[in-house]
Amino acid sequence: MNKAFAEIDPIYFEYAQKYLGRFMPINREELIDLLQYCEIRKFDKRVVIVKEGEIDNYLNLVVKGLVRKYLPVKKSECILQLATEGHVVQSEISYLTRTPSLVILETLEPTILVSLTYDKMEEALDKFPKGERLGRLILAGMFIKKDENRYNRLLKSTRERFFEYIEHHPHMLQRVPQKYLASYLQIKPETFSRLKALMAKRKK
Amino acid sequence: MLANVREFINQHLELTEEDFQTLASKFQPVSFAKKTKVVDIGETATTIYFVLQGITRRYFYRGKQEVITHLVRENGLMGSVISFLTGEPSRYVLETIEPVTALAISKEDLEGLFLSDKKWEKFGRKILTSFFLQIEYHNLDNIRFSTKERFINFMKQNPDLVLRVPQKYLASYLEIQPETFSRLKHLMVKEK
Repeated sequence: MNKAFAEIDPIYFEYAQKYLGRFMPINREELIDLLQYCEIRKFDKRVVIVKEGEIDNYLNLVVKGLVRKYLPVKKSECILQLATEGHVVQSEISYLTRTPSLVILETLEPTILVSLTYDKMEEALDKFPKGERLGRLILAGMFIKKDENRYNRLLKSTRERFFEYIEHHPHMLQRVPQKYLASYLQIKPETFSRLKALMAKRKK
Repeated sequence: MLANVREFINQHLELTEEDFQTLASKFQPVSFAKKTKVVDIGETATTIYFVLQGITRRYFYRGKQEVITHLVRENGLMGSVISFLTGEPSRYVLETIEPVTALAISKEDLEGLFLSDKKWEKFGRKILTSFFLQIEYHNLDNIRFSTKERFINFMKQNPDLVLRVPQKYLASYLEIQPETFSRLKHLMVKEK
């Protein structure tokens, strides 16, 4: 195992195993084998890790901290993802097509990422015995997730999306400024406040 | 007929002639009349189709309203892809707009190829990547462009669809109100 990984918290392995385990069973030896292709990257809070127009060279698993991904829109911005421990985050189109990124990635908390470069990914897919299968299943998973998000966005009302999100991610209200959550849910900040007040009332 | 498939695949990766013939041997020609539900909600999709002729739409219901998420025409792949991948019942209807002729490949045959050699896994990944990119570009474009910009971009890129697909379907696909769609269309004719 490379030195970077020898020093890290075992919980990071668990996040990696849990993520990959969604696609196929991965045992400890296979996981260590796969992690050889990865690197550990550490960032302070409020660091831009992918700029607009830059080619994103990394697939990242968040093992500690929080990364927001957003799209600049005219003079404003729209948050596409708030990635916490166990989540994968990257500028997907840029990474997959090797083109300048439309989106920006920024840490909101001190963050540790297990990262895989594009070239190392290609190498891993080729050399790791079940690599190509894993690669296909990960892409299928990414596609299914995008479709699910779009389906929910089109099907559900603002209110439904708000309550579902808060129910599934109660800790995010503490970790992220409200305006970011509102942007992520594509809810106006005033509406977000109103729904939050409504939620507080319901609980009483 | 197969030349179109070959060209489609070449956009994603290179296959040797032998590999292509292996794949081609799994295709079954099929045809559907217009307005046929190829996959209905609740059915599990076990087939993917390469469209040779015709147009289909994929939609789900929000209440009684149809919400169109995909339009597929010649040289595209149609299917209730999520159901096909997950093995779960489809949340979408896949329905033809025009009569469709297509080449069908079954999930069983595809899985067989995947198990036979990892080069087919790579083939699968490349096709899935194209699906992924399509939906992600659509998502980002919906956010970064105004309604008018989306309308104009679509019209420029798909002049054929404007003639072949009912306006209300195009409006739904672009997430534009039908009235706004009509207004923008008039505006475009004027500006010309």
